[in-house]
Amino acid sequence: MDSNNLYTMVMNYLIIGPITQKVISQLMEKMGGKTDSGGHSLFLGQVRADEINRKKVKAIEYSAYEGMVKAEADKIKETILSEFADTKTIDIVHSTGIVKAGEFSLFVLVSAGHRHQAIQACSKTVELIKEKLPVWKKEIFDDDSYEWKR
Amino acid sequence: MEVKVLFFGVLAEVTGADCKHYREVKSIGELRLRIQDDFPEVVHYNFRVSLNNEIINNDLILNDGDEVALMPPFAGG
Repeated sequence: MDSNNLYTMVMNYLIIGPITQKVISQLMEKMGGKTDSGGHSLFLGQVRADEINRKKVKAIEYSAYEGMVKAEADKIKETILSEFADTKTIDIVHSTGIVKAGEFSLFVLVSAGHRHQAIQACSKTVELIKEKLPVWKKEIFDDDSYEWKR
Repeated sequence: MEVKVLFFGVLAEVTGADCKHYREVKSIGELRLRIQDDFPEVVHYNFRVSLNNEIINNDLILNDGDEVALMPPFAGG
């Protein structure tokens, strides 16, 4: 099996390490053949090199409760599909493990018949992910010290 | 009967455990006390409890094979 295949890398919404451009383009390619959607709204979460107490964030280490991520992400999709009736598909991918500053850690792509619902549904999906997905992050600084983000 | 307890985020670090099994524990309330006996430091942290992937706020009865998780505030994205 091709180890670079999207479906072997993304398991139940999670991917180990950063969401690379290759993964992003594979996810986007799926949109190509669609004929029921008039608009796609994409959100990418990226690791910022924040400076905290004179130390710079060089990476974030994510951990997740895998079983509950699956359950919660399924529920988020159901919520969005019922609230935004024009929504056709919702793709969610979140990183686990180390993601360096500048790399992507969250991918959300919402397709809808028309642009307004695509944009609104994408925005709401991201908010629900922030609120409901059991994911934790440890900020790792340039001197290798770290801090749990609360 | 046996239940599985998972620790996440900072709680996995302070307890030094990702997972621990508890035998003969009747309820969430009793389980909390057993966990506090084993890991007194957890009381200093803010966390929610889930039972079989559902966040719970009440003291529920536990059954064999249940999975309980101690979860600090989420920080995804």
